[in-house]
Amino acid sequence: MFTKKNKPKKFTLVRKRVPFLFILPWIIGFIVFTLGPLVFSLIMSLFDWPIAGETKFIGFDNFKTMFTADPQFYDSLVITLKFALIFVPLNLLVALVLALLITQPIKGIKIFRTIFYLPAVVSGVAVSIIWGWMFNSEYGVLNYILSLLGIEGPDWLIDPKWAIITIVIASAWGVGTMMLIFYTDIKGIPYEMYEAASIDGAGPIRQFISITIPTITPTILFNVITSVIAALQQLTLVLLLTGGGPLKSTYFYGLFVYNNAFKHHELGYASANAWFMFIIILLLTMLIFKSSSAWVFYEAEVKKERKGRKRK
Amino acid sequence: MNVPKKMKLFFLFTIVVTLLLSACSSSDTNGEKAEDGKVKLRFATWDVGDDVELQQGLIDEFNAKNSDIEVVLEAYGGDYDTKITAGIGAKDAPDIMYMWNYPQYKDALEPLDSYIKDRGEEYKSNFYEALWNYNSVGEDIYGLPVGYTTHVVYYNKDLFDAAGLEYPQAGWTWEDLQAAAKKLTNKDKKITGFAFPGQPDPYDFEMYLWGNGASYVDNKGKLDGNLNSKKSIETFTMFQNMLEEGTAITTEGWGDTEMKSGKVGMFINGAWYLSAFTEAGINYGVVEIPAFGNNPSASIVSSSGIAMSKDSKHKEAAFKFMEFWTGEQANKARLSFELPVLKSVVESEKLQEDPIKKVFYNMLEQSEGYTPTSFVTEDWSKLSDELSLVFEQIFNPSTRVDPKEALNSVAK
Repeated sequence: MFTKKNKPKKFTLVRKRVPFLFILPWIIGFIVFTLGPLVFSLIMSLFDWPIAGETKFIGFDNFKTMFTADPQFYDSLVITLKFALIFVPLNLLVALVLALLITQPIKGIKIFRTIFYLPAVVSGVAVSIIWGWMFNSEYGVLNYILSLLGIEGPDWLIDPKWAIITIVIASAWGVGTMMLIFYTDIKGIPYEMYEAASIDGAGPIRQFISITIPTITPTILFNVITSVIAALQQLTLVLLLTGGGPLKSTYFYGLFVYNNAFKHHELGYASANAWFMFIIILLLTMLIFKSSSAWVFYEAEVKKERKGRKRK
Repeated sequence: MNVPKKMKLFFLFTIVVTLLLSACSSSDTNGEKAEDGKVKLRFATWDVGDDVELQQGLIDEFNAKNSDIEVVLEAYGGDYDTKITAGIGAKDAPDIMYMWNYPQYKDALEPLDSYIKDRGEEYKSNFYEALWNYNSVGEDIYGLPVGYTTHVVYYNKDLFDAAGLEYPQAGWTWEDLQAAAKKLTNKDKKITGFAFPGQPDPYDFEMYLWGNGASYVDNKGKLDGNLNSKKSIETFTMFQNMLEEGTAITTEGWGDTEMKSGKVGMFINGAWYLSAFTEAGINYGVVEIPAFGNNPSASIVSSSGIAMSKDSKHKEAAFKFMEFWTGEQANKARLSFELPVLKSVVESEKLQEDPIKKVFYNMLEQSEGYTPTSFVTEDWSKLSDELSLVFEQIFNPSTRVDPKEALNSVAK
């Protein structure tokens, strides 16, 4: 009895330690590179923290300045939200359409798949430089093509009305990753479902709405969340393509934080800015998760429900 | 109950570890001696590519000659300011670093006046006088000049020939430039006479005000009555008028792309594009910036220097290296991509006889005695942002605000 009782206990202890040992490199990396800076930046946000010279504890003054004395804070926040509002739905739609296209069984589809995914591999810096050339109103490729169609293209990077659209278009270049996620999910839908549906007389649009969309809602949820976060943190493109211009119309929140830290050398204030954005992202993500029970469909849920019903 | 408690413990543990780690990371790495007893100096450069190799070669030479010092080159490239900023913030700045924006970093730098004094008056006077201004803040010198460029007018010789115009000469005026721009402009061929950035860098743009006897601020840093003075408004109005007349366009970058396309007659910038234009096959010439009436024109100097960290543990050794890095031999070694800053080198290399390089030196001599606002005012990075926005409002086709109104909005 005694030995029998002891053995499993020792076993569970070992079993508990070993997995931790395996993920130890990740844990260390997480603490040093993510949690550490995170906690540190929270501390910094309570200080007047110049690059050189004395740091001074100022309590919540950074947050006070941000909310009461810095109009650029609100401007940047509005611009960023506006961008997210245009970018997220558009990006989802484009990704979904592309994913549907590359699931079609036609000849040479592999080539298209590669082409559509390729831009996602290119670094943001290169994308910015390339788009800088494409968007040039006088000599850019884009306006040249438009002029062939008899359309006079806008001054993409000069006209403040167009600038945000410009960034949306350039950002959409990174749609490949999202497309790939949709693609794998759509590919995973059993063919029998479509077969059964078509026997019942459902056309391709009906099939798409009643089978494809409900099945991939978990993926849509994932893509919504990641692209909301990506949109709110967008920095590379505005930093390199527009520098926040024209007339500060693309002065995104990310750029606002970056400039406060590395141009104006107010590290404490920038940390406060960053933490505010962190909270916004957190709330938005929670909101989306909350809403997901209304529209996201999990197979496991249905099974459970059925079981429950049977018991009754 | 048990699980949350464990989570709490885990969370606490991570925080403790975090704090411990961050405490360790700020430990002193400066001034460490290499194992063989050599003084180790860290030297940060912003250069990239081939230039770094050339610099490494020079450093190897220095290290070979000085058995007690070992200089290690750290090439930060495009992210230079971010990395320097982070390094200084973490009290882990390189001993010696390339520098141009002294006011921003002066609190972290070692004043060099006493070191320079020890080297004698002749040592100091061999550098062009105008450059010391750009390597100092107030009365204190913080850096030794390494290179510089003034701004000049680049003009496309082919377009001038096609329009039957004579090439511009030193001593020309803005009226001459406008007249030339008018003749060069050809709407059908999409050729424009003159181009300047639609979002000009306020640091650069001040030189046009200097040329007209104005500046952003007075020597006390006061904007009102300076930025919005009559002469200043006049300058901005002149640029705006050229746009309205269609004899000038604003560029989306600095204007080099437009110049390379061969569709722009003239544009103003530093020496950075000399080789790029040659490679692009543009048949160009350079000439001094035009004058407002009889006032000689002035140019902003984009200068680079090297500075020493205040926290360096080996200051004498560091200065010895800095002396080498700004000495005649090093100036000559950089000749292919940097304009020498020593009078003796300019003389021995006969740069005053070079039709292109001499223009940059003439502009340098003409620009003596001007101090950019960034060296006068306390908070240039903020002011620069405000000015930049206002300049854009003046030049952007969707706004084209009256200069007087726009400048008043910042100055008052």
